[in-house]
Amino acid sequence: MYKGPGREGVLRVNDLDIFAPAIAAGDADAFARWLGPAERVVRESLRPFAASVDAEAVLQEALLRVWQVAPRFAPDGRPNGLLRLALRIARNLAIDELRRARVAPPAPPDDLERAAEGEAAGAPRSPDPFLRRAIELCRQGLPEKPALALAERLSNAGADPDERLAERLNMRLNTFLQNFTRARKLLAECLRKQGVEIEAELA
Amino acid sequence: MTQPPPPGAPGPPAPDEALVEAVAGAYRPEGLRAVRAHPNWYDLDEAGRRLAFERALALRELEAALDPEGLSTTARAVLRKVRGAAGP
Repeated sequence: MYKGPGREGVLRVNDLDIFAPAIAAGDADAFARWLGPAERVVRESLRPFAASVDAEAVLQEALLRVWQVAPRFAPDGRPNGLLRLALRIARNLAIDELRRARVAPPAPPDDLERAAEGEAAGAPRSPDPFLRRAIELCRQGLPEKPALALAERLSNAGADPDERLAERLNMRLNTFLQNFTRARKLLAECLRKQGVEIEAELA
Repeated sequence: MTQPPPPGAPGPPAPDEALVEAVAGAYRPEGLRAVRAHPNWYDLDEAGRRLAFERALALRELEAALDPEGLSTTARAVLRKVRGAAGP
């Protein structure tokens, strides 16, 4: 069990390598603390590939491989070494997929390398407790069926396909997806009314 | 040179909303050697794939904000596989 910094409250560190020794020792809780801020950085680095590879699949595979190779990770003295490794793994997986599909890489290697070094992707971000409170308030105001569809997606966390989630709620697949879309749009509308800046794609 | 469409002409068809919503979720089938693409990802055109990417990005932020440990459904999916295995 991880007992180091960041266990309670908002993570306030910029160098996620503080978790690397515990991750290398097989501590899944430490990996969870690393994943929280690292995921978005790795996901954003895959944007140039988004039209040609399924970025979600590449991202999940890259994060799994980080866990697998972590015991052999050697810091280079610069911050976020494990994150930079994750970016390289994700990029290489995406390029492998492109080669398999016989599609040319979308950006020259220099640009991709800069993204892998974290300059293009930006620094890891931490969870925002104010945003959480605002979303939770808006969630409580959702109509029943959209709220159920959202809750099912959240609690299942990608374990099962939407067909199965819909079955559990006695909904047809399209109805389930429509309810999820409705939940997303209502949340976005509610957050806007509270003055919360949200990404356009949520709406 | 490409001419602009005449006023009132229909633009390119919007990506299928249900497909985009499905692909923007965190579910991905497991393959023998790696996590596989969502089956509906292949049904989307380039615009739909980009839209699904951006929507997933926004949804994961929302999910992480709602999660007590600040984890998205993607992070939870990865952790489930990690915890199901013996160790790194």
